[in-house]
Amino acid sequence: MVDKEVKEVKEVKKVMIKKMFVLAACLMAAGQMGAQQLTGRDVIQKVKDRPDGDTRYGELELTLIKKNGNTRQRKVTSWAMDEGKDTKKMMFFTYPGDVKGTGFLTWDYDQIGKEDAKWLYMPAMKKTRRISGSSSKTDYFMGTDFTYDDMGQRHVDEDTHKLLREETKNGHKCWVVESVPVDKHEIYSRKVSWIRQDCLIADHVEYYDKLDKLHRVLSTHDIKKIQGFWTILKMEMKNVQTEHCTVIEVKNTQYDLKIDKTLFTVAKLEKGL
Amino acid sequence: MRSVIVIALLLCTIPRPVVAQDEDAVRFGIKGFVDTYHALRTERPNDWMSSKTRVRGEFSVEKGHCGAFVSANLAYNAILKERSGFQLREAYAYYSNNHWDVRAGRQIITWGVADALRLTDIISPMDYTEFLAQDYDDIRIPVNGLRLRYSREKWSLEAVAIPVNSFYDLPTDGKNPWSIGSVSIGAEPAFKICNMEYGGRLSFFLSGIDFSFSALHTWNKQPVICNGVGEYRRMTMLGADMSVPIGKFVVRGEVAEYLDEAQSASVCQEVPRSASTNALLGIDWYVGNDWTLSAQYMHKYVAWGEHRNSGLATLRIAKDLLHNTLSLQTFAYIDVTNGGLFNRFSIDYALNDQLHAIVGHDLFHADAGMFSVYKKNSELFLKLKYSF
Repeated sequence: MVDKEVKEVKEVKKVMIKKMFVLAACLMAAGQMGAQQLTGRDVIQKVKDRPDGDTRYGELELTLIKKNGNTRQRKVTSWAMDEGKDTKKMMFFTYPGDVKGTGFLTWDYDQIGKEDAKWLYMPAMKKTRRISGSSSKTDYFMGTDFTYDDMGQRHVDEDTHKLLREETKNGHKCWVVESVPVDKHEIYSRKVSWIRQDCLIADHVEYYDKLDKLHRVLSTHDIKKIQGFWTILKMEMKNVQTEHCTVIEVKNTQYDLKIDKTLFTVAKLEKGL
Repeated sequence: MRSVIVIALLLCTIPRPVVAQDEDAVRFGIKGFVDTYHALRTERPNDWMSSKTRVRGEFSVEKGHCGAFVSANLAYNAILKERSGFQLREAYAYYSNNHWDVRAGRQIITWGVADALRLTDIISPMDYTEFLAQDYDDIRIPVNGLRLRYSREKWSLEAVAIPVNSFYDLPTDGKNPWSIGSVSIGAEPAFKICNMEYGGRLSFFLSGIDFSFSALHTWNKQPVICNGVGEYRRMTMLGADMSVPIGKFVVRGEVAEYLDEAQSASVCQEVPRSASTNALLGIDWYVGNDWTLSAQYMHKYVAWGEHRNSGLATLRIAKDLLHNTLSLQTFAYIDVTNGGLFNRFSIDYALNDQLHAIVGHDLFHADAGMFSVYKKNSELFLKLKYSF
């Protein structure tokens, strides 16, 4: 009798173990299918689509740090407004004195191939100049380690993206995505981004040069929710080859301000702050 | 004009935060610089061409949509003593809302897309006391007038009225190393309504092109020499300009027809008047890696006289280095008609955020034409500038 019961129990166990294996296999398969469905492009698109309000305002302090520790500073006040998928931006330098009042107006177009429209206002000359919308993207912004492209938003399809893996970085669960520029004239051959899954912000980005050597490293700090929107309050870009570094601190960030779209005109650029 | 300055200065004395975000608060700002500039002739007698130190202050005060702006120099000029002292540059009051911008007072008005050349940009005249061997923003002379601008997202309409005319400052004093010689300048037009300058400009700012049309009833602000005397006459300018970005290039074009422009003549009973056509084509190349190249060619055709065609070109090459702490630039005017050249080469190093040291060389090379009078004026210069 006891032997029979033991046998029955063993049979039940076998069936249960079989079921658990099948269930586990199904879950793993489902999980793999999910991972296969999420592509690198999907992750980058999620980052681009992260809510950031229809209008934005911020005061940026850019500190340039030389290898020997000497620092230089620039301060910028910036407004932005979304118009559909396009974005208009107005930016004025407030420090140092020799560039104070210099303004940039940019109309960023989402459509690939459509050049951004850009104007530069030089207060000493009392003159606005139309500048190239495409070339400056790969130039460094005011001597910092950030390019104009880094300061704005690249179109998702300007790179091909590959989801490499998921891993935890600095205590945050991240997607690791490799992005290779379609245009071979870009200053980097590829970049690898650790995208935080909780807030869809890159925690860490590595930029590789044309020889595939690590060139620059971006790290973001002090990420907080302001008015319900995830916001980077501090980021650092280090050129590991020259050991020059730029820290950007963002202050007084505001979203969904009431801004009239006439702010983003050449007339307002010339009027100044 | 004085009342504008007094009101602005009084408002500046009210203790308020430097920058306030509250629209109802009085906001005021101050910026400026202290600079010292010294230039030594590289040809005999190797004398000082320029030695001056100045403080520039720019004050603004704003409440709601209204405000005032004052810009002035306090200068000491060791070569041109009469240029020392207080110099008021701009002083105007303004009203500005989302669409309207009105400025009344002494102001610099710039039109056109040309770089350091003037076709449609003929409202604010030029200070040639030290010819072109000074910063371009110092060369412009403000005018006393009213500027009204109505702007929409992609276009703006500007109207100007200048009841008090301003004219070129020409160096006729023999003590000035930049003197063009003793020239008698006739009387400037009197302050009368009928002598007022007026005009307008309609500008469009589109995604692939900027363009504008302008018209101005004005004066020849650089006197023409007739029987040895500098004379001013009425003229009308009709102009247009455009800027087109194409990849890494921006193509700029500007045309201006001067109707009834006064012409110089060695012997004449009446100042000759004739139409002239002025056209400019320029290209800016944003090479990347902090290189910028810019070239322009301007052609003038006068429908009168023996020398009807003249050409002037410019070339600018600029490069920023060391994270924008070191800037190299060369800017050349090339007198195509006479084979003359004026080139300013400068090296600008930022010692820190506020202090810049600039050294450079002005090169003149000409046997005829506009630069020949300065063919012995090549110089080395040093400038220190502290901005605040």
